[in-house]
Formats: sequence, C-alpha cells, structure tokens
Amino acid sequence: MESQQNIKKKNYSLRLERISQSLRLIFSSKIAIIGLSMFVFWVVLGIVSIFWTPYEPNATQFAQNLTPNATNWLGTDHLGRDILSRLMTGTQVILLKTRLPGIGVIPGGVALWGVFGSLLLGTVLGLNAGYRGGWTDQVIMQFLDALIAFPVIVLYLVVISALGRGDLVVILAITVTGAPGVARLARSLALDIRTRDYIRAAETRGESPWYIMFKEILPNVSSPLLVDGMLRVGYAIFAIGTLGFLGIGLPPPDPDWGNMVNEARRNIFSNQLAVIWPALSISTLVIGLNLFADGLNEEINRFQK
Amino acid sequence: MARFLIRSLVSTIITMLLVSLALFFLLEAGSRDVTVRILGVFSTPEQRASLSLQLGLDQPAIVRYGNWLIGNDWRVQRKIGYPLEAIKNEKTEEREWWANVNGQLTRWKLEEGVLIALLRQSDGSAIEQQAETSWKTIDDQENGANKQVFWGVDTKNNAVKWVKGEGKEIYILTKAGMRKEGDGAQQYIPLTKGLLRGDAGLSLQTGRPVMVTLLPRIRNTVVLAGVAFLVVVPIALLLGILAGVNEGRFLDRFISITSLGLTATPEFVTGVFLILIFGIWLKWFPAVSVFLRPDAIFSDPKIMVLPVLTLTAVELGYIVRMTRTSMVTVMQSTYIRTAIIKGLPYRRVVFRHALRNALMAPITVIMLHVNWLIGGVVVVETIFGFPGLGKYIYESAIFGDFNAIEAAAMITVLIAVVTRLVGDFAYTLLNPRIRYS
Amino acid sequence: MTNPTKTLRKNPPVLKLENVSVAYKVRGGEVEAVQDVSFEIGRGEAIGIVGESGCGKSTLAWAVVNFLGRNGYVKRGSIHFQGQNLVNQGRESLQRLRGDKIAMVYQDPMKALNPSMKIGEQMKEVLTVHQKMEEAEAIERCVKMLQRVYMPDPMNVLKRYSHQLSGGQQQRVVIAMSLLNNPALLIMDEPTTALDVTVEATVLDLIDELRRELDTAIMYISHNLGVVSRVCSRVAVMYAGKLVEWAEVENIFRSPKHPYTQGLIRAIPKLGEDKLGSQLYPIPGRVPAPNRRPDGCVFHPRCDYVQGICRDKKPALRDVGDGIMVRCHFAELIDPSEWEPPDAVEIKPEGLKSEIGNDAALLNAVNLKTYYQVQGSSLKDLLGLNPKRYVRAVEDASLEVVPGRTLGIVGESGCGKSTLIKTIIGLEQSTAGSIKFKGLDISSSLADRSEAVMKEIQMVFQNPDSTMNPAYTVGQQIARPMIKFGVVPKNEVRQAVINLLGNMRMGENYYDRLPNQLSGGEKQRVGIARALATYPDLVLCDEPVSALDVSVQAAILNLLLKVQRKYGTTMLFIAHDLSVVRYFCDEIIVMYLGQMMEKGQAEQIYAPPYHPYTEALLSAVPVIDPGSHQKRIRLEGNVPSAINPPSGCRFHTRCPRRKLLPNGGKICEEQLPPWQDMGDGHQIFCHLPEETLCAFEPVFTVKEG
Repeated sequence: MESQQNIKKKNYSLRLERISQSLRLIFSSKIAIIGLSMFVFWVVLGIVSIFWTPYEPNATQFAQNLTPNATNWLGTDHLGRDILSRLMTGTQVILLKTRLPGIGVIPGGVALWGVFGSLLLGTVLGLNAGYRGGWTDQVIMQFLDALIAFPVIVLYLVVISALGRGDLVVILAITVTGAPGVARLARSLALDIRTRDYIRAAETRGESPWYIMFKEILPNVSSPLLVDGMLRVGYAIFAIGTLGFLGIGLPPPDPDWGNMVNEARRNIFSNQLAVIWPALSISTLVIGLNLFADGLNEEINRFQK
Repeated sequence: MARFLIRSLVSTIITMLLVSLALFFLLEAGSRDVTVRILGVFSTPEQRASLSLQLGLDQPAIVRYGNWLIGNDWRVQRKIGYPLEAIKNEKTEEREWWANVNGQLTRWKLEEGVLIALLRQSDGSAIEQQAETSWKTIDDQENGANKQVFWGVDTKNNAVKWVKGEGKEIYILTKAGMRKEGDGAQQYIPLTKGLLRGDAGLSLQTGRPVMVTLLPRIRNTVVLAGVAFLVVVPIALLLGILAGVNEGRFLDRFISITSLGLTATPEFVTGVFLILIFGIWLKWFPAVSVFLRPDAIFSDPKIMVLPVLTLTAVELGYIVRMTRTSMVTVMQSTYIRTAIIKGLPYRRVVFRHALRNALMAPITVIMLHVNWLIGGVVVVETIFGFPGLGKYIYESAIFGDFNAIEAAAMITVLIAVVTRLVGDFAYTLLNPRIRYS
Repeated sequence: MTNPTKTLRKNPPVLKLENVSVAYKVRGGEVEAVQDVSFEIGRGEAIGIVGESGCGKSTLAWAVVNFLGRNGYVKRGSIHFQGQNLVNQGRESLQRLRGDKIAMVYQDPMKALNPSMKIGEQMKEVLTVHQKMEEAEAIERCVKMLQRVYMPDPMNVLKRYSHQLSGGQQQRVVIAMSLLNNPALLIMDEPTTALDVTVEATVLDLIDELRRELDTAIMYISHNLGVVSRVCSRVAVMYAGKLVEWAEVENIFRSPKHPYTQGLIRAIPKLGEDKLGSQLYPIPGRVPAPNRRPDGCVFHPRCDYVQGICRDKKPALRDVGDGIMVRCHFAELIDPSEWEPPDAVEIKPEGLKSEIGNDAALLNAVNLKTYYQVQGSSLKDLLGLNPKRYVRAVEDASLEVVPGRTLGIVGESGCGKSTLIKTIIGLEQSTAGSIKFKGLDISSSLADRSEAVMKEIQMVFQNPDSTMNPAYTVGQQIARPMIKFGVVPKNEVRQAVINLLGNMRMGENYYDRLPNQLSGGEKQRVGIARALATYPDLVLCDEPVSALDVSVQAAILNLLLKVQRKYGTTMLFIAHDLSVVRYFCDEIIVMYLGQMMEKGQAEQIYAPPYHPYTEALLSAVPVIDPGSHQKRIRLEGNVPSAINPPSGCRFHTRCPRRKLLPNGGKICEEQLPPWQDMGDGHQIFCHLPEETLCAFEPVFTVKEG
C-alpha cells in the first residue's frame, strides 16, 4: 500500500515537473508573455463582465455618440449604449460561453469550441492519413482538398444559408474550415514520427493502429498542434468578427464585436471612435494569440535543439 | 513530372466533383422545402405540391444533381423524339427551349384538352396552330388500359408529359398569386444545360438567369483581386526575403511585427479605417465604389484604390511571414553554408543559391491562399459596395437564392482550385527534384 | 613514415593554431566548446583530429574558416594560415580565402549541394568568382577535376542536379569542387562517414592520392581511428574541447600515452578478434557537456590513474619526446600494458558457448523473398500499361539460427539485411518462401501472428534517439510489453522493470526519467531492456551500436553478451562494421544486393576461401592495426538498382575476380551461381571453382620487419 502511495506521489511530482517545465518554456520567451497577457486581459474582462459591467450593455440609457468621458469611459454608440460594457460582454460569446437552443448555456466560447472541434476532427483524420498511408491517406487528403478549396467565408455563407444562424452553426463552420489545416499538420507530423524506431517497437508487439496513433504518436505531436490551435483561436475570432460585421454572425442579444464595427461604420461621420474600440479589441486579441503562439514555437524549437 | 502533374489534375477534377456534390446536397438539405420559401407559409399543401411538380422536385435528388451539373436536354430529347435547342430571346436575354421538328422550332401547349403547337418565326414570335403530332399509345400497367401520351416542350422551358383526356389541375404562380388551371401535365422536367455548360438556372431572387447577372460580377472581381494579387506578391516576397536574410536584426523585427499587425487586423477593420482616413478625412479616394457605368473599373480606376489597399493589407502580412520563415530555413541549410565556405560574395549566395529554394514554399502557399483572397473579397466588396462576385454571394446567401449561391460558390472554388493547379505547375518548374523524376 | 614529416617541419606550416579557444554565447553566459588547442600542419601533410562526439572537433574546423555562426567566436589564441592571422579577419578577406586557398568538405554530401542548381553551375562559380576565369575555361577545368576524382562521364554530370547522383558520386563532386582552385589547406569533416565501406575505401584512396599530387595540407576530422590512420600521418586526439594527445599515427596506436587514447583503443574490437579470445573495455562515464566540465584535468572523472593533483590542477600539453605531446600529469609513468580493468567496468561474462550446438534450429527461413512494388513515374505507369515493377529487396534467402547462438548479417546499404529481419519479425510481408519459428510457420504478416509468437521475437533498434518514445518515462516504456503480454502480474510489473533495469546496470532512479534526460548509451540500454521485457527467445539487433561512440559501443556489446548468457537468448545481429560483427557473432552471412553471397562460422568468413565480394569488403575496412598489411581490392562502379538487378550472379557487374573464369566470366552473367560447400557449413555462392577460391591470399598479413 505504501509503495502504491509512493508511486502516486511520484506520478504527481512528475506531472508537476512537466507543468513547471512548460511554464518555464512560456516564461523564457518575452514575446510569449506579452501575447499571453494580451489574451488573459480579455479573458479577465470577460469573466468580470459576467458578474459586473459598468452599465447594462443593451440599455439605451445615455445620450447618443458621446466621446469618452468620466461616466462612459469609452463613450457611447449611436443608440446611446455604453461601449465599454458592450465590449466586455462581447468577450463572453467568443471566449467564455456558448448558447445552445434547448440546452442552455455551456462554458467555453464559440471560438474555443470551434477550434476544439477542428483539432479533434483534424487530428483524427491527419493521424490516420499520416500513419496508415496508402489508400486511406489518398482518400482523406482528397476529401480535405475539397474542403480546403472552399474560400472560408464562402463556406460560412453556404453553411449559414443552409442551416441558419446560431452559435452551433458558427462552431460547426469553424470546425469544418479549420479541420483541413489541422489535419495537414497532424499528417506531416505523423509521417515524420511513424519512421521512428519506437513505432516499429510498438508494431512488433502487435499494438493496434489506434493505440499507435493515439498513445505513441499523439503525445509527441500535441505541442505543435496546440500551438497551431492557439493561432486558430485567433483566426476563429477573426472569422466571427467578419461574420458579425456581415450581419450573419452570432445571434443577439449578446453584443458582437464585428457587428459593433458594422453599426458604428454606418454612423462613421458622427462618431469615429465607436469604430475604433471594437476593431482594436479584435486586433489585440488576435495579435495576442499570434504572439503567444510565435513565442512558444520559438521556445519549443530552441528546447528541442 | 508527368505523374505529378497528372495527379494534381486528376485530384483537381475529383475535388471539383466533391465540392459540387457537397454544395448541392448541403443546400438541398438546408433548403428543406423550397416551395414554402417561394409560396410563403400561407400556401396550401395542394399548391405546394403542384409547384413542386412543376419545378421537377418530384425526381430523386441524385437525378436533379445530374441535371444541375451537366444538364438534361440530351437525355430528355430522346423522350420527345426531336432535338432540343436553346435559343436566346433577344428581348429578355433569356434562354428559351424549342424542339426542332424537322427544321421548324416548335413548342406546345394544351388548351381544353387540345394540343396546340407554337411555331417559332425568325423574328422570335410564334404562330399557334393545331398540332399535327399524334399522341403515342402506351400501356398503362396500373390501370390495364391504354393511354395516349405526348412528350413536348412547354412555354416555360419544361419538358412535359401530357396524357390525353387527363389534363391535370395545377396551380400557376403569377405575379398576382396562384391561379388554378386545368390542362396541366403529368410530369415536368425543367430543361437545363447544366452548370458545366454554362447554365446555372434562374435566380430565385430576380427570376432571371443567374449567369446573366453573374458574368459581369465575375469580371469585376477578377480585376479587383487580380490587381490586389499583383500588388501584394512582389512586395510581400521582397519584404519577406529582406526580413529573412536579416534574421534577428532590427529590420527583421520591424517587418515581422508590422506584418503580424496586418494579418491580425480583419479586412473589415482595415477597410473601415482606410475609408475613415482616405475617404473621409483626406478625401483622396471615393469611400464607396459606385459604378456609374458597367465598365467603371476601367473608366474610373480610382474607385478601386481603397478596395485593393484593403485586400493588400491582410494578404501582405501573411505572405511576408511565410516567405521570411522559408528564407530563414534556407539560409540555415547546409548548402548555403557550402556556398559561403566557397567564398562567394554574400549577394551571390542570396540571389543565386538561396532565393530559388526559398521561393518554392511561398509560391505554392500563395496559390493555396487565393481562396483566402476570395474570402477577403466578400468582405471588401460588401464594405465598399463594389458590385463583384463576393457581394453577389453575400446577397444571395442572405436571400437564400440557391441557384445563385451554387453557381457563384462553384466559381470561387474553381478559381481557388485552378490557381492551386498553377501553383503546382510553378512548383515543378522551380524544383528540379520533381522535374526530373 | 617518420622521415617525411621531419623534413616537412622545416617548411613554414600552412596552418598553425596557437592556444585557440572557441566560445559560443548562449542564454545566461557562454560556453567554451574548444579550449587551448595548438597544432600545425605542413604542406602536403594530412593530420587527423579524432575524438568522440561533443569533443569540439567540428567547432575547431569551423573556427579555421571563421564560420561559427552569429553566437560563436574565437575567444583566445591565433590561427595563422600561411603566416596570416585568420582571427578577426574582415568578411571580404575571408571571402577571398574561402573556397580559394582554404576549402572544406563535410559530412553529408546530399545536403552540401544545392538541390536546385546544376552541378556545373555550382562547380564553375568557384573558378569564375575567385579567379575571374572565363566560362569555357572554367567548364574545362571542372571536367578535368571530375576526371581526376574518377567520375565517369564528367560532361554529363555537370548538367545534372545533385539528386540524380549517388552518395559516393556526390561526395566526389564535393571533393572535386573543393580542389578546383588548388587550395593550400583542405578541411575535411567526416567526409566518408555517410558512405559505405567499399565506397569509403575508394574515397580515402582518392584523398591520399590528391594530397600527394597537389601538395595540399589536409585537416581530417573523424571519429573513426581506422579511417584516420589510413590517410593521416599525425593525429590530434581531442577530449571535451581539449587536445589531449598529438603524435604520429604509429605512435598513437602502438604506444598511446594519454589514458583517454588508451581507453579508446581498448574499446574498439580489432578485426579478427572475437568474443571468445578477447575483451572490449568501455571507458566508464561520459563526455561532460561544455558547461559542466570538471576542474583540474577534464578527463579525471573517467581516468583509471586519477590522483589528487588531477582533480585540482589542469595539466598542460607537454612534449614527452618523439614529437609526442600529451596533456597528462603522469604521461611518462603510465604503461598501458600493465593496465587492469577496474571493477566498475562492465566485463564480458565468462562461459560463452563456443561449440556448435546440435539443437534444432530456433528460426529457419527457406528461399525467402521480399519484393516491394514501385510506382513508376511515366504516363504509361500511371495508366497501368507498363508491367508492374518490384524492388527485389531480398532474393532467395535461407538461414538457420541455433538456440543460444548469434547469427550476424553483414553487407552494405541496400543489400537487404534490414528488409530481411523486418520480414522475419513481420514488419514486412514476405513475397515467397517460408519462415519457421520453433517449427511454427510465421511467414504471415504481423497482424496474423499470435501473441505467443510476437512475445518471443523482439527487436533492438539502431538509433538511440528514436528508439524511445520521448513522451513516456523509462519505466512506462519497459512496462508496456510486460503488461501487454501479461508476462508478470500487474502488481509486480514495477519490480520486474526495476530488476531488468538493474541487469542493464541502471538503478531504480531511472524508472521515472524521461528519454531526454538520458545519454545515447543509456537510451540504447533501455531499448534492450524493452526488448527483453517479454523474455523473448529471439532478439533481432538492427545495428544496435553503429550510432554510438566507441567507448559506449563496447559497453553495449558487453551488455548484449551478458544478456545472452543470462537468458540464453538467441540473436540475429545486423551491422555494417565488420570488426563488430566478427567480434560478436558465431555465424555470419554476407549479403549483396538482396542476395546471400557467403555463409559460415565467423572465423571461416574472415579467412580464405572468400567470396570475391567478402574479400573486397574485408580489404576496404579501415583497420587500426599498424602491424598488419591489408590487401588492396577496390570495387568499381555503383551498386546496381534492386529494381533491375543484374542477371545471373548479382555481383557480376563489379566482381574483380570474374576474369579468372574462362570467357571473361560469361557464365556469371547467364547463370545463378551454385552454393559451394567448403566444409564445416561454410558455403560460398560463386561460379569460381573451389580450388581458385581456396587459393586466394588472406586479406590481412603480418607486416614484415
């Protein structure tokens, strides 16, 4: 019994060591820290907004088109709504919650779930294509080629015109458009890993292909995939913003940054700042994720050397 | 090399087929009941059923897919017994279908159970006369009785099957609403040449053929995206290479960070800012692309400046980063080390040894990225009100105009796939390892 | 050998290094990869630099051409080339020297040539840039130089791209390119390491010949003492960034002075020695990382003669007579012949089986064939109009392994040895023939084999860096096969793994380590432990020591011997190093291009009668025994493609002995040779009559005088 406990303790300390190792990795890159803090800034704002915002985000309780002042720190929009409150609340649907009709609200934003979906689908397809090769590879790659051939926005438009609007549709669209890229990456990584001797060793002891793909290969390709996933969260936010701007993004009542830009654009003559705030929000969030991924990549490469 | 290229060609064709299937069936599934969309929710089930019959929706989806893709005239004319011809009506610019009965273009209609033939005259009008054509007798196995059947072309460009004495009651959609009428046919097959042969059907939104509206839009977009592409690629490659050879230095940091900022800023944000700065504050360029004449892009190129700049900004950052990475990898390779150790001047090392290898990766990626450019086009055209393909897709999607979306989306995919093929060719030309194997 | 160097000494040296230290700036400080190295090279002289990986050999080479990357620099000392100090030279003057007066050749020729430029373009620019030579003249000179390195059809080669040439040809191009401007100094960094033995031999001959003719000074870097002894007159032994011994080749091998040099020589099996008659002694410990070098003498933690002073005081490089320089406090006092192995060293176990067992064969393969289908690249192939083509990787292989014994398979790359064992273990599907294991047919692929068979056949792999999954701890990886096959009850797995690690001379603390915390040798031990986790009857070893440094290689070989004795394991052992195979194996099979050429007891293979291919292989092996003479036989041409192998005997296109047969050996082209029995199970696959084969002189003869 005691030895069992010891083992558990050891496993625990081993895990701690690994975590601290990855933390060290992050903190050894300035770029990664800058990126991470930009991202964390928005996550924190979003969490705060669940419990408290300066004002009710959808209430038209102020004068229209106010410039920043002591009451409305970032001013108000063309309907007299507080821009800061709307920006803060807008983070929620992207990063923190997903609204599913009939089920309710689940944690994790649309961008995160969408990227999770594309990671899941892409990894399964990519590992199969890369590890099995041959016909499987040909068929999967052909299928992905067809998916990739769709311009992303056009695919969104088609999906949305077929299925209508909703958080789930956006998630689905992000998943479908992201999966080919993830799959290509996973495939190329798997092609490399499958030549390693430890894969031969697993094969000679008769491990199943699924065991080899998910137990032997996946742990070794997960970090580049995760870094890629971070970039994809950026793209997803980008895409959600674009859809919102086109007026076919996440459904109301939650404010949507892209839609805020769109509405403000129509009133651009009377209130230019209302465009800048949501635009800046999207950019900082995307840049933050990009920097984080770049920094991590650089560190991982250095670490592997 | 032949193998590689043929493979990409075959793969491209399969891709297009898959895409067309996906597109058709996705919209098929999404559209649920088109008749409700057209007739509205207050229509009766009989009215919907009748319309569904007239639209040929009673046929299986796979047959309709075939009709949509490759047309059905070649198949249907066997039923009619005469060759079918599609003729453009000079007045409406729309396509009309006629059967060529021994040199005379003919259509038919059923009035009070009597079959009337419409004979087309050279000026486009038609003369009515009682049809000489006789009914054909076929066995009706269900009723055990013989039936008199006639296959012909009606005035609404359908191939129809009339049965003598069994004029069906149908609802006809007119501008005033649904009108009930006798003399209907038993089966309707809407005639089409199919997308591959340039017939995308009628737009649900305008009722006019999709292709008539689409073609000038495509031209506008090709010019817009083409100009943007020609501006972006050389600048981006140059900046990427500059950053790559100066890896880690100030110039590299500056270019990298700027391009990161550009890639991370969505088109709609860039576009709005550009409008704000150049359109509203400085008033250098028009903030909206108003087409006073259909060929305004050529007569008034100023309207393209801001859309092109917007497209350029996003693409630029991406290609710069891509090229930089490739250049950095190449500059660290062993053969560049060899070239330096050979005592070659640095410029020669970069231009003769590194450049060609460093460009291989970006060129394929740029070509793959053309569909991003098209995605950007949708947004940019919407912002600037530029009448192009992107705006067309957007508007069709909002309306739910399926024929229009299908055709337009297929064209965007075609552009993406063809550029990818071009990229593959370019790659084989640059890479001797593929050229000689 | 001694006289020419002495006369050379009078000329000013071409290259003179004095107290050179090279440092790299890294995060949080800098590390000195090379410390305090001094030596010189005269005209027409070749000096070798040897040492294990991580000792700073390559860094030294890059320092000479001043190509240390952005973070490296020469921290101290001077590098004089023809009287001119190269340290801190400007980019322009370096550019003039590089490629003109100083040329360099390094390890991987495929990577050294630009893949998207024609060979001609790459070669002639050396001339047009440095000598402003006219295009036509430059091409002419390139052709001449290619002819000089014995490149067939040089005009044609100039028009090709690098991927259209074989590895040996590429290296010839690189060498020819480096010699175009008649450089005064040629630096070669492991130029033959990536090549096969027979190709290596011809390249080494070429280097030697060119040095003589062109009077070029050569700085030759290699980890292989045998290679260095073939081309160099003097040798610098490096350890942990320091030059520890500098002497003429003969002295290094006859009477090495530094304990490290002695250790290196003791760790290498001499060709002809076997496990019954001799012993390999690894050097304990490992080379310290540049930032963890010990105080005092860098070698002291691994030295058998260590004294107090060694821990405190850094020894200087001292002249101990005969032109020998040693960096050791006690160089004069140490007599290598009185060396006794310390207790800590792994020693070969006693009581190895030497007699041929009469047991039934454990593994038995008959007329085994393994073909792969190849994809053609022409239009016809794509449409399936051409007949299907196959790589005939293994053709008619028959072998037998007796329990408890070791069968070695040798041959150059592409000879099919790897495919053969992959077929045996089931990673490749055999095309025809049968494989029987304990009488059970196992010619089916892995998926159809029963767990009981899988468990009994395990494999040890070549590359220590890829043999372990970096994501799991040592313990998890060894435990997996135990759990999978249920070898031990679940709650005893941990103990069983620890026991096994103990047998590998690794403590319990290794259980929770990740692969990136282990050295190459340790990873290889874990690989062996994993293979043994199911207590298999047969272990297939695929070049298990070829990627390791010599001192570690010895330890792994000893470990495998110990394992074999303890568990009675039968082994199939593949290697390209003939000395290692001779040392380790009981029976040996020689393969060429998918076909078996000779088989028999180890000692039978290494003495006449030989198969002509075996003879050529043996005479190509670089050996370090200065007391013996090696016959010189070189193979011409390239290994033919296995898609379209030569008719009859596959070796006939390159066989140097074929002309001994009537009609210039026409029969070799037309008919498959017979297996000729030479007695005692020694068989040769050749048309040459037994008398002729037996009349071959031995490859190695004791030198007279």
